[in-house]
Amino acid sequence: MTAKWPILAALALGALSLCLNLTSAQEAKNVTPNAPDAPRAAVARPNTAPPSAASQDDARWRMEGEKRFATNCGRCHQAPHKYPPRVMATAIRHMRVRATITDDDMRYILRYITQ
Amino acid sequence: MLFYRSNSTLSGGLRILFVAAALFGVAVGQANGQLEDPEPIKPVPVFSMGAGFISSFEGGTPHLGPLISPIFLIPIGQNWLIESRDTFEADLSPPPGSNDFKGDLQKEVDYLQLDYIANRYATITIGRFLTPFGIYNERLYPIWIRDLQSDPLILPLGVGPTNASTGVMFRGGFNATPKIEVNYAAYFSAESSTNRLESDRAIGERVGIFLPGPRLEVGGSFEHLLQDNRSNAFGFHFAWQPRPLPFDIRGEYARSQNGSGYWIESAYRLNQVPVWRDQMRHVQAVGRMQQFYVGTVASESLLPVNTDMFEFGLNYYFQDNFRFVSSYGRQFAPLGGNENVWTMGLTYRLVFPLGNGEVE
Repeated sequence: MTAKWPILAALALGALSLCLNLTSAQEAKNVTPNAPDAPRAAVARPNTAPPSAASQDDARWRMEGEKRFATNCGRCHQAPHKYPPRVMATAIRHMRVRATITDDDMRYILRYITQ
Repeated sequence: MLFYRSNSTLSGGLRILFVAAALFGVAVGQANGQLEDPEPIKPVPVFSMGAGFISSFEGGTPHLGPLISPIFLIPIGQNWLIESRDTFEADLSPPPGSNDFKGDLQKEVDYLQLDYIANRYATITIGRFLTPFGIYNERLYPIWIRDLQSDPLILPLGVGPTNASTGVMFRGGFNATPKIEVNYAAYFSAESSTNRLESDRAIGERVGIFLPGPRLEVGGSFEHLLQDNRSNAFGFHFAWQPRPLPFDIRGEYARSQNGSGYWIESAYRLNQVPVWRDQMRHVQAVGRMQQFYVGTVASESLLPVNTDMFEFGLNYYFQDNFRFVSSYGRQFAPLGGNENVWTMGLTYRLVFPLGNGEVE
């Protein structure tokens, strides 16, 4: 009896999370980029900004990505050399789960190591 | 009716699942602000493998330890990941009166899990996973990562048999403020006696706070067994990497009825030594101090007597994934004998895409 309800509750939470994610993914398509996600927004509309602004955004992404790479990756192991982009995309997803790095850290680091 | 029962198992399970539910509640309010990358890089399945050959002398007895550890990472879509790691290792040593090295090959499924990244705050894992107790088992255990090749004496505390659990886990990391990151893991594990897939029936949680500015992480772990004597285990961990130096320091404390103890380890990459810079920047010096105290209930996976130990190691990095490792340690066990422990070996890690790794 005691074994059943935690499993059922966990499954219910999983189902809830699945619904949430599908909903948020759908709504995200209609969301206007806001300030905290400004670097990501700059990537989304590179052609609407003047070249100098785009290069400034790139530099900011690079600096922030490098900082987060050094801060997070070096916590457990030596900084790895760069692999092809799609390999790094898999590795960073693995590290998001394994090392519980944040979503923002994952995006900055992935962009930094694949450029 | 269920909530009014005074069963400690239920209250423990409630606590963990309520924490998970609260985190999902946070996600409800904030997941809508999540943006998709405009052109996300499509990940490719990856095969990786760690390999090593570690020779050691423990109290004068030589041991040879070849090891390979294949890893498969299979991403599915933008939110799913199947990951597995197996370990094949041998501990070869000469029987008394013989010069031939003999030993058995040990095979282990370290983890085989399905991860679903639900949102910015939570990932759901089902399957067999490394028990999130402290930081060593999950993050520092692989031989190509660890700075000293011997396990900490307290490693078996709180992680269950074979260091793994089988069940469901909620975990994640998020920014509480721009300067504070929180990471957590909460799990339920079922009992398994299947060969190479053993696990205890237990619940547990780990919470950590990481300060990116000073690069300081502190946290605590808790495990409650839901079988046998229903005992508890708890522990604390910290890690710090000061920015001005290529130096890091880590430590863990753990306590259960099987024993208690701590380890503290520091490693220094000799980048800043002003002589022979080309060579010295490849060298890493490591030191570790640890103490273990026997508990009230004996465990086969722990030492039978109180033990102190210090170790000093030197590693040379040919590349970031290929290195020579060496260490000397002295074990002090007043009731069980003192001994020297020497280790020397090579560790290597390869990463190989199972498909086109470049962006098309």
